[in-house]
Order: sequence, then structure tokens, then C-alpha cells
Amino acid sequence: MAIYESIVILDSLLTPKDIDNVVDRLSVIIQERGGVIRKIDKWGKKRLAYEIEKKQYGFYISIEFEGDGNIPHVLESDYNYSDNVLRYLTYRFDKYKIRAMQNAAEQAKAPAAAVPAAEAVVALKPETNAVTQESQE
Amino acid sequence: MIKIRKKRVCQFCEQNIDFIDFKDDRMLRRFMTEQGKILPKHTTGTCAKHQRQLSNAIKKARHLAILPFVTDFSR
Repeated sequence: MAIYESIVILDSLLTPKDIDNVVDRLSVIIQERGGVIRKIDKWGKKRLAYEIEKKQYGFYISIEFEGDGNIPHVLESDYNYSDNVLRYLTYRFDKYKIRAMQNAAEQAKAPAAAVPAAEAVVALKPETNAVTQESQE
Repeated sequence: MIKIRKKRVCQFCEQNIDFIDFKDDRMLRRFMTEQGKILPKHTTGTCAKHQRQLSNAIKKARHLAILPFVTDFSR
């Protein structure tokens, strides 16, 4: 299980209700396939640095989830199917991101796969839950 | 007379930054030209490890239209 973040640019002309519907649909897709949603963040309407499909503005959504590698693939086919999605980016958290996250101590849960990379940091900050997980192993 | 140039140090190493976030466009813009090109590490002094992360971050930000690919001033 790895942590992914999927950022989607939607058409800014959608109503707030439509945007909620899109978020709900994506969450259902993730949860149906055994994924766990960690965070849903709406960045809001932002000006694009360049025109995409002749549009100046886009509505940014970011979904952070934990799950298997097939979920990004399913999400991608959903994005391609939908006309409201201007652009998307799904990426897996690398060791630097995970380490930065643990440093911030916002996320107490550390995935088991990331523990070896984060050992040095964990040793410095023994108050996180990651340490207890490690000792159990 | 030999000019002794002060050696540039990587800004990320100095501030102990391990992870370069591609959402932070104001920070990334400091490592780009006005046109939107990525500055080489010999002008900014960034170390190889951070330059690699930086260029990947800029490319991700460009894909999401957070940063421009090019800004043309000629017109």
C-alpha cells in the first residue's frame, strides 16, 4: 500500500454542487477498490498559467489516498472519460515527501513501506506513532 | 590578480530543506528565468541532488498550469 495524491483541474464554470458530485464519485471509486482517503482539499478557482482547452480559469481539487497501484489506473480512465476534467496529475509519495510529512508530524500514521527510508528521521523524533509501529515489527 | 569568487552554496542544503514542493510556485519561480526556463545549477549554486528534485517539481507544476512553459514578451 502506497500513498498517492491526485490533483484534478475541473472546469471553473461548474456549480459547487457539481464539484461535490465529482468529488463524491472519485471517493467512491477509491473506496470501492480498498483505498483509504486521507485528505480531500479544494484549492478553489485559480487562474491557469496558460490556456487549457481555451479556458483561463480552473477549479483545483486534490485527493490524498492510500491504496494499491491499480487505483490510479482506474482514476485515470475516469478522468479521460469525463469532459469536465481539464488536466490531472496522480503521483506516488516518494521518500522525500514521506520524510517531510513525518518531520511536520502532522500525519502520525507512517506506511510500512516508507519506514526504512524514514528511519533516520524517526530516530530524531521519537514522539510519533511511527516509532511504536516500528517497535511492534 | 586572481579574482577569488565566493563559492555559492546550495540554498536548500543551507536551510535544511529535504523536500521541494511543486505547489509552492513562488519558491520555484526564483529558480527560473523570466521566460520560464529552468536556471542551470551553476548560476543558482544548487547541488545536484536538489537540482534534480527542483527540475522535476517545476515540470510537475508546468503540467498542472501552476507555472508557464514559456512566457513570450516579444509580442
